[in-house]
Amino acid sequence: MKSQQALNILLGIYIFIFFAYLFGPLVIMSITAFNSAEFPSVTPWECFSLRWFNEGKIAYDGQHLAGLATDWRLHEGLITSLQIGLGVVLLSVPIGLSAALVLTQVHSRFRTAFYSISIMPVLFPGVIIGISTVVLWDRIATMGGGGFATELGRNGIFLTILAQTCFISTYCFLIFVARLQRFDQTQEEAALDLGASQTQVFFKILIPYLMPAIASSCVIAFLASFENYNTTVFSILSDQTLTTVIASKVRLGISPAISALALVIILITLAVTITYEILRRREDKKKKKLAAEALFVQTQDSRLLRNGKSTSTIPKSIFVIIFIIIICIFGFNKLVEKGLYGSVCIAATEQEKQSNFAEQLKLLQNNAEVAGQTSSENGEADEKKEYDDIFGDPNLFKNFGGFDAKEEEEQETSD
Amino acid sequence: MSADVELQNVSVSFGNFYAAKNVSVKIEKGEFFSFLGPSGCGKTTLLRAISGFSDPSDGNILIGGQNMAGIGPNKRPTSLIFQNLALFPLMSVADNIAFSLEVRGSGKAERRKRADELLELVALSGQGDKKVHELSGGQRQRVAIARALAIEPEVLLLDEPLSALDLKLRQKMRTELREIQKRVGITFIYITHDQGEALTMSDRIAVMNQGELEQIGSCNSVYEAPNTPFVATFVGENNAFYGTISAVDGDMVNVSAIGNNFLAKAGDLGEGRKHTFKKNDEVIMFVRPESIFLKDQNNQADNIFTAAVKTVEFEGNLKNIYLSINEKQDVRCSVSNAVDTMDLSNSKNVELKFSSRDAIVLPVGPLAVD
Amino acid sequence: MNYFFNKNGPLISTYLLISIGFWIVFLIVIPQLYMLDLSFRPNIPPLLRGGPDDVYTLVHYKHFLFGSETSGESYNYVDIGVFLDTILTAILITLINLCFCYPIAFYIAKVASPNTARLLIVSLIIPFWINELLRSFALRILFAGEGFINNVLIKLGVIDTGINFIAMDVALYTGLNYAYILLMIFPLYNALETLDKNQLEAAEDLGSSMIRTHFRIVIPHAKAGIASGCTMVFMLTAGALATPVVLSSPNTFWFTQLIYQWFNMNDNWPRGAAYSIVLLSVSVVFVLLMMRIFKVKIGEIVR
Repeated sequence: MKSQQALNILLGIYIFIFFAYLFGPLVIMSITAFNSAEFPSVTPWECFSLRWFNEGKIAYDGQHLAGLATDWRLHEGLITSLQIGLGVVLLSVPIGLSAALVLTQVHSRFRTAFYSISIMPVLFPGVIIGISTVVLWDRIATMGGGGFATELGRNGIFLTILAQTCFISTYCFLIFVARLQRFDQTQEEAALDLGASQTQVFFKILIPYLMPAIASSCVIAFLASFENYNTTVFSILSDQTLTTVIASKVRLGISPAISALALVIILITLAVTITYEILRRREDKKKKKLAAEALFVQTQDSRLLRNGKSTSTIPKSIFVIIFIIIICIFGFNKLVEKGLYGSVCIAATEQEKQSNFAEQLKLLQNNAEVAGQTSSENGEADEKKEYDDIFGDPNLFKNFGGFDAKEEEEQETSD
Repeated sequence: MSADVELQNVSVSFGNFYAAKNVSVKIEKGEFFSFLGPSGCGKTTLLRAISGFSDPSDGNILIGGQNMAGIGPNKRPTSLIFQNLALFPLMSVADNIAFSLEVRGSGKAERRKRADELLELVALSGQGDKKVHELSGGQRQRVAIARALAIEPEVLLLDEPLSALDLKLRQKMRTELREIQKRVGITFIYITHDQGEALTMSDRIAVMNQGELEQIGSCNSVYEAPNTPFVATFVGENNAFYGTISAVDGDMVNVSAIGNNFLAKAGDLGEGRKHTFKKNDEVIMFVRPESIFLKDQNNQADNIFTAAVKTVEFEGNLKNIYLSINEKQDVRCSVSNAVDTMDLSNSKNVELKFSSRDAIVLPVGPLAVD
Repeated sequence: MNYFFNKNGPLISTYLLISIGFWIVFLIVIPQLYMLDLSFRPNIPPLLRGGPDDVYTLVHYKHFLFGSETSGESYNYVDIGVFLDTILTAILITLINLCFCYPIAFYIAKVASPNTARLLIVSLIIPFWINELLRSFALRILFAGEGFINNVLIKLGVIDTGINFIAMDVALYTGLNYAYILLMIFPLYNALETLDKNQLEAAEDLGSSMIRTHFRIVIPHAKAGIASGCTMVFMLTAGALATPVVLSSPNTFWFTQLIYQWFNMNDNWPRGAAYSIVLLSVSVVFVLLMMRIFKVKIGEIVR
């Protein structure tokens, strides 16, 4: 048995390493969001600051490194993403539902074929779905001759909704199929027999039964749409979603503002998951209680004792929540200690830097004059230069795509 | 309101397979009628055809004299109670019962009133706000009945609704069902593979096998005067003796089997007619276990044979004695618990007797296999 | 068809037919067919389309194999190299992922208590609700020239100057591995969960060693899960774009990046379409191969 114990310990260590690998990068990224340095890092630690969540930074040379709250491109991308997400949910959930319903009705000879077609989009690489949608609609737009079809075919948001719906419908389809497998079809017949029309059966029996699946497929569809990049990057054309904005930002130079954004998303995810888990556990308990009651009635009725599952559970999530609360209190304390933006510390380091880079400042004077009156994206262009120096490799952010060209165009037009 | 149901040469086929073949039966108004048969005999198919979930491939179904062809289940004056009850798990008990009123657009108050009435009918007053899963098995059963009665059907169809209950509850529900039927006075068509259910509840029984009707009649006639070997063995227990006719004398025949000559009566053919036999016909003679007695010195009977005891089985109110006459022929005999069987040791040869009135002769045909 | 209308009623039938028709015909079949068609067309300005020059041609597929006519090479070593590199790396990453995830999936499915298992599953899901780009970004912070790992290593005195993880593709491979772990674990977990624990105990009782038990009982049982996980991870890795965008070195191209380049930078859509078809064919072949090797149906792969 000793070897068994050793094995268990090894397995424990392995699981620990696995989860460290899973969460480590995310934790470190989250921490970098609080470092005032303009390159996202833990070491060297400059100052504790919340500026990347807010206004960002006006560099010593005058350029503006946008923070989360002040980055209008992120905001616009977010709004576009929300619109697309909503559109995708509205399309893909009904499509997935109808495909799942038809699957239960088609003749068994065609079922495999129908199923295969329905799940095909998931097996296609995402880029291909994006590309095929774009090429098709470009053709339609060309043939449309400037009419409504042209407008539609050149609308990135519309195309992205279509392209994403193509494969997200499959996710919904699979969710519905799983739920329908457990559906008791005699319920439909019972309702029919009681005089309901087919439409009434659908709305009064089937839809209420599928409600949990509808809810989860809405959430899954929205999330899948929200974080999709591979398909969106092609179909979005000249628009920008949150993910494409993030992608272009990451490619142009990594800034702690992205860490800040990631942290916000992580926190939202955590909050949603924890709420969901608590609700689920509460529901479980309620169900167990009801089942116990029913069992009681039943045993009274038939005087037959049956085995009920009445294992009580200790909600381990409580510990997790307490842990999170402690961290929050600790973090808040730190915050109060250091001042909200760590302004004192930042001022000191800035001072130091300014004297250190006084020489360079002069060199960059010309640059600053140009950038002085500008908006943020000029800042980013300069930022890029700066980070190229940091990496010591000018090719690090290589231009293989159209982003850079596109951005320059945008700058020109906005100037 | 109650209606009669008439099946005219109804066949239901799936491809080459006939689930029901040429079934004709007239079920009277207000009757408790059962279709009895082993699983897969086509009784459920027939019920689904009556309720409108499947169309007969041939023949007509008339309810209250009206042909039901092309009328969907939601338009027929029938109501079906499903084997698994098919209660709506997401609705309360009252909502379940009032569902048929809801889909017809009745108001809330009316629905509530009707639900309460029906809950009272099935002795579930005050349980309307519970969810279905909070009820016990027997209570669910009653909810299903109440729900089916809510549309005021002319015919109530029941598809083995008691099969999920345990024995005691099942027996209790039989009585209740019968009482409810008397109270509402509508036609009940009941489907079961359990002869006990059919015999205790029904006015008339139709025995089915492999999609075809074997016999229609009262409980008594089905049990006492089976028309076919299948009915003889499916309804109740029976001993089958294969043999040949040695003499015919009106309704009485002489059968030679297991080396003996027995006197027996010719079986019924239905509609008051009897099977007719001639000499050397191959036949089966049926004698029920409770009609075979251990012979004692002081009484005589027209039929006597000898068999060796194999085992004696205790079954509460009676005892089953299993004997064998030769390698091929076993025989079972049921005696009251009061009979002393202490001296029936293994392999002991005993004399058995039965009356010619209890022996029924039918032409050779398939038996019901357990 | 009549039966269908009877069963669903006119309103619902119409809804079902329209939405499925729209999806299958308009979103799935026609775009792919049109892309296939486009990949055989020459790259000409929109105005000339439908004109005399618009004929079917294999020029784009030829380019993928043999390179442009002006180049001296007999084969298009660059593109084929990128292609093979992508496929082989994807296969390698899939295998690594499988080995990496199997113990975890087994632990959650068969060893852990139900509550622990639930907790672990939730903690597995959380990271994957976060955008792939952001996860790659997190790795970039770790692997950057002045990133976390280099700084820690330098501080510990292991190395003197920073290691360029990105140029070495370490960052890219780790990122691809990291990105799709969940899609390997879940099919494995689902398959292993249905394994009867008694079988394991019986095997142990009969004196089978642990490794033998896994190879003879657990792995055959998890066959469909393994096929499913491998297919999903391979597909996503080979078709990945977000992770290579963030983490690939200047010298390494992922095949999707090549497609992207033809589309957005060089504005040669037919060639991009042709390259897409190449990628798509590999995907289809891979799925068929997995189905053949593991003898599973397509329905068992995608669940």
